[in-house]
Amino acid sequence: MDKEKKSFGIDKVQLVYAQVLETVSHVGIAFLVGGYFVYVLQLLPLSVPIDAIAANWHLKASEMQQKLHTPSGWSFLKSTAALLKGDVVSYLSIFYLAMATIACLAFATITFYREKNYVYTALAVLQVVVLLVAASGLIH
Amino acid sequence: MSSATRKILISCAVTTLSLVLFFTIPQVVYAVQPHVAEQTAWWVWMILLFAFSFVLGIFSVLAGVGGGVLFVPIVSGFFPFHLDFIRGAGLLVALSGALSAGAPLMRKGLADLKLGLPMALIGSISSIAGALAGLAMPANVVQLLLGVAIMGIAALMMRARVYGTPDSQEPDALSKMLHISGVYYEESSKSEVSWQIHRTPLGLFLFMVIGFIGGMFGMGAGWANVPVFNMLMGVPLKVAVATSGLVLSINGAAAAWVYIFKGAVVPLIAVPAIGGIMLGSKIGAKLLSKVNTRSVRMIVIIMLVVAGLRSLLKGFGI
Repeated sequence: MDKEKKSFGIDKVQLVYAQVLETVSHVGIAFLVGGYFVYVLQLLPLSVPIDAIAANWHLKASEMQQKLHTPSGWSFLKSTAALLKGDVVSYLSIFYLAMATIACLAFATITFYREKNYVYTALAVLQVVVLLVAASGLIH
Repeated sequence: MSSATRKILISCAVTTLSLVLFFTIPQVVYAVQPHVAEQTAWWVWMILLFAFSFVLGIFSVLAGVGGGVLFVPIVSGFFPFHLDFIRGAGLLVALSGALSAGAPLMRKGLADLKLGLPMALIGSISSIAGALAGLAMPANVVQLLLGVAIMGIAALMMRARVYGTPDSQEPDALSKMLHISGVYYEESSKSEVSWQIHRTPLGLFLFMVIGFIGGMFGMGAGWANVPVFNMLMGVPLKVAVATSGLVLSINGAAAAWVYIFKGAVVPLIAVPAIGGIMLGSKIGAKLLSKVNTRSVRMIVIIMLVVAGLRSLLKGFGI
């Protein structure tokens, strides 16, 4: 049995991961719900009208994007004005959800390193790199 | 014939009939009135999507599968959205479900980071490749492959009753090197259960394949992760289910970025789906002790078979 596992004691790294996961997922759900209401109730102006999305949601994603110029990737970071759109706020909440795992793994990496568990530090770093590369849009 | 068997048979027959009607009627309606989908207000579709996802969430918990696996095949059969957006939403459904359930399972030692991390690393790379491949393929080819995959999942679910506590096996060299082993407290027997794994290299290979399929179809992969962990690698069922969620949260996040950058994630569709499934899952968890899960599981298998057939027919352009 692994030396740092005591009688049904849980690894510290598991507890750290769980703590971060709990915090980010609670915030994520609140953000998701709040962002959606801002979007559908049109509390902020929209970059693409909802009716236009609904009229084209039978198209392939690439075709809809070409036709409506819907936000994709980090394109909304171009200006502050682009950020203050109802649909972008809802889009941001989905970004947050997709980033949540990176935050958990980052804290796990630090804990593995502090425990001098270099094999898992390397695995966790590699995993964070894979997710960051995916999030950067470099491979699309 | 016992009354329990009769109940199961009746519920299966009713479900099959309802599903056949449910799947056939939209075909007839669309054939008569091609613009029916466009004539319906967007908010009606959103309410329907939320309600539908809510029911799927209940069923997924009662049947012991993730919501993601039911979402893509069934929603693609009923709603007017392109498969790209359904797959994008499906990945987020699977990801958010795994995230929201993860913390307590990790604290109990059921979701194990040292077991999940190597599998997730290889699975996340292949899920990105799968997502890129899936979005590059023509929709009818993806529908066809999705039909085959769903039929395979239904077959796997029918075999799932053989899951259980695996025999203790000698751990392999790789699992020893990675210190993959654990102990958790089993509440039913009030005792500690220790576990170790074997066949790690084969497990890693299969997680690569599963990651690719999950990314390609935008489905959660609990249906495949759990049997690989449990039946192949010797992980106890509870640890297998919980760690599968951990792997899913990482693989899903990786593939989700591909869908986001390809414009296949539309918040208008994704958020009600996530909300409905998550709320339904919570209700499903409360109903778990009161419902005959065997018949629910049978209903879900029938739903998957019908959805798989429908996907195959769509793939063939029928």
